[in-house]
Amino acid sequence: MMNSPTSPHVKNAKWQNIVIIFILLFMCISALPNLYSDKVKLHLVENNHTQINTVSPQDINALLAQHKFSVDEIKTSNISTEITLNNKTDQNAIERLLRQTYGNDYSIGSTIENSSPDWLKSLGGEPIKLGLDLSGGVLFVLNVDTEHALSDRLKSIALEIRTLAIEKRIRLSKVSQPDNHSIEINFSPGKLDEVKLLLANIKKSYPELIKTEQDNTQVILSYSTQEQAKFRQETMKQTLKTMRGRIEELGITEAVTQKQGKNNIRIELPGVHDPEEAKRIIGATASLDFYQLAENLRDAGVIHLRDDNGRKLVMNGQAVLSGSNIKNARAGQDEMGSPLVNLTLDSVGGKKMSSFSKKNIGKPMVTVFSEFYRNANDEVIKKSKVINVATIQQHLGSQFSITNMSSSKDAQELALLLRAGSLTAPVTIVKQRSIEATLGVDNIDNGIKALTIGITITLIFMALWYRTLGLIANIALALNLVSLLGLMSLLPGAVLTLPGIAGLVLTVGMAVDTNVLIFERIKEELKRGKRVISSIESGYKSAFSTILDANITTMITGIILYSIGYGPVKGFALILCLGILTSMFTGVFVSKALTNLAVRDNKAQILSIKVGDK
Amino acid sequence: MSYLEIEQSEFLTKFRLISFYLAVVFVLISLIGIFSNGINLGLDFTGGYLTEFTTQQSVTQGKMEALLASYLPESFKLTSAENGTYWSVQQADNSISFKGNTWLTGFSQLSGLTITPQDAIYIGSQVGEELINQGGLALLTSIIVILLYLSFRFEWRLATGSVVALFHDVVIVLGVFAWFDIPFDLTILASLLAIIGYSLNDSIIVGDKVRDLMKRNSEKDIDSIINSAIKATIVRTLITSGTTLATILSIWLFAGESLAGFSIALFCGVFVGTFSSIAISATVPQLMGLSADLYVKREQEVCQLP
Repeated sequence: MMNSPTSPHVKNAKWQNIVIIFILLFMCISALPNLYSDKVKLHLVENNHTQINTVSPQDINALLAQHKFSVDEIKTSNISTEITLNNKTDQNAIERLLRQTYGNDYSIGSTIENSSPDWLKSLGGEPIKLGLDLSGGVLFVLNVDTEHALSDRLKSIALEIRTLAIEKRIRLSKVSQPDNHSIEINFSPGKLDEVKLLLANIKKSYPELIKTEQDNTQVILSYSTQEQAKFRQETMKQTLKTMRGRIEELGITEAVTQKQGKNNIRIELPGVHDPEEAKRIIGATASLDFYQLAENLRDAGVIHLRDDNGRKLVMNGQAVLSGSNIKNARAGQDEMGSPLVNLTLDSVGGKKMSSFSKKNIGKPMVTVFSEFYRNANDEVIKKSKVINVATIQQHLGSQFSITNMSSSKDAQELALLLRAGSLTAPVTIVKQRSIEATLGVDNIDNGIKALTIGITITLIFMALWYRTLGLIANIALALNLVSLLGLMSLLPGAVLTLPGIAGLVLTVGMAVDTNVLIFERIKEELKRGKRVISSIESGYKSAFSTILDANITTMITGIILYSIGYGPVKGFALILCLGILTSMFTGVFVSKALTNLAVRDNKAQILSIKVGDK
Repeated sequence: MSYLEIEQSEFLTKFRLISFYLAVVFVLISLIGIFSNGINLGLDFTGGYLTEFTTQQSVTQGKMEALLASYLPESFKLTSAENGTYWSVQQADNSISFKGNTWLTGFSQLSGLTITPQDAIYIGSQVGEELINQGGLALLTSIIVILLYLSFRFEWRLATGSVVALFHDVVIVLGVFAWFDIPFDLTILASLLAIIGYSLNDSIIVGDKVRDLMKRNSEKDIDSIINSAIKATIVRTLITSGTTLATILSIWLFAGESLAGFSIALFCGVFVGTFSSIAISATVPQLMGLSADLYVKREQEVCQLP
């Protein structure tokens, strides 16, 4: 046969091949760190920094050998000793042993590191993060202080009553909170009717409050027991939702977030090597409020705060706007390159801000950042900090920014917290513990074994059924798996779990399918009497539209699941989408390049059909 | 067409129609199962009672699992921490399960382990209400979008065929879970999603062939076109399903108990999906009145030259 390829075609093919080889190499390198296992490293750092490191590796080695532990490596430097463990399961026992022996003078910490060679690490290679079911993670139990939230809510209602009373010129002698579910209002006799009118107004915005008239000088507003319970439930629900949002913002897709008991939230995070970082974000009860400077220093409920320069600020007790009105927040930079956070408000917040700023152009507005923490006596304490005092330059709408952030990292963290929603109740971490794989090591080993058997059967079948082309399909399939692993290692949010393996099985099926579709087409074309080269050409070409249709519809499902779903569903959808991309790439482009290579050498025998080349 | 081919074709038509009505019956049986028995939602969806305890000795997870399985009357979820010394057992919250940590004393005696009880507390579901709502919304949206895409690429009757086949596959798998009372957890939800992808893939390939043949030979009747489309794709369907089923089967047989539900769901799904792509996805358009000369007519409409 006179194969007369036109030169642009060949050039094109060459270029394609180079691109394909480049992509495959890149994927292989990305997938490489998965071959290496994670190693636990223990660090001994001397508490007293003035002395030099005195513990010798020989001492440690002797101590460990005495207790029959084996380690890979002990490295000492001037400031610390690093022990690389041989076996992950020894970690706790060795840590305990070291603490007993050296605990007085040394602080002991641990890190988990991938044992891949340095050149791979310098390329930024990282292994796939495994989910809770496959590799365990960190467990946090959070306590949600719903009581505090309830009393906060009442405080703000009390404040509103006082402000309203001043506006309506009704003198109230005292507004107080005898306990955390009621407000007591005292007034001079004879004012009952006016007060009733005032309270009717309050009732309109808070219909859940119950009004009890003690006598004609005292009224009590309170939450009934059911309403209290309802409020607590709402708060828990809100907190749970916010937590899920925050974890998602951290880029962890496969976390487990559950309500535990009445007031606790249980969070399990997979593959977290730096619990401190996660702890900071999860435990942060940051909220942002915008205040107006008080005009009258003796107004009801004014707040006194100092800014960074020690300047005393007096603000109106009622915030202009609170963090719950923030719809979106992004960290950015201004023209001068200093960090800021751009805020987008929801419609309610936008309206509030618009009317406020219109009335107050030229006046200052204070941005206050508040956080709850637990002190030594286990009491919840609110700490507030003035971020900035800015003069309102113009009529603001629903979009504006907070400047004067100390660093871009701070700006990013604040943006993350604001995005994920602020917490209405203070949250504190009461338990932190590392947990082991829920599936258990044996099950995981068996699962991997089973998957290998399944894939091997597939490979053998393809090789027997399609001969040469089957081998090509197998190479394409192997490259598909490698590319998928590579892609997953590259993406920071991708976590491999059991549901993810379901996606993997499906992907393998689809990758096989792509090749089968093409080969069946080629067979058809050969049977019609076409030549080998042109059969292959048109086989690939006409099967492509079928493959595209089939994959696009699956892709649509995947993308919708990814954007709407949560947790495991999201993880599954991600693998499905990535799998479709890699199987299209390897199944169509790589296997075509391979077929062209193979056909050049072996034209007559293909697809186990003998074709006399005409 | 030779006599043999005609006979084959007639057989295929009969097979398709009978299978179609059989599928309707199966869907009905599944629906009855889903609505009468209900689906046994796993701990991921319902929450339950969490009991935590520590053991003095370090125990492997497999061993602890076996010990607990012989003691507890119901299914549970086990998590270990601190090198197999700290354990969390999650059980369903119903009448037959042991509540609180009182059962630990009995378990301690039976297993011979030194057990110190820790917290015992009620735990909420792993899946928020919003996920269930969102999940439903996601499914609905994706079905509508797929229907639109396929109507645009193929023809609305072929698109409906694919979606009906999809519905059939998912309902039957759910039916299996309802009738056999297998707990439905998040892993199985994921495999259900995988089935959706698989089922669509199968149906589209048959639909694509039907369209291809309709364009090429418009003089034939729709029945024989669909039959030859199925005959042309049957090898591909069987190879793809066969290899996927082999992988799933090996997971089912070798991977142990923990992956059983997952592989049952996938196996049923792929099996039913293969069947539906032959019997349903192309039969529905035929029953809805798809005509063989559709594409020819369309072309004539477009190319009306004076």
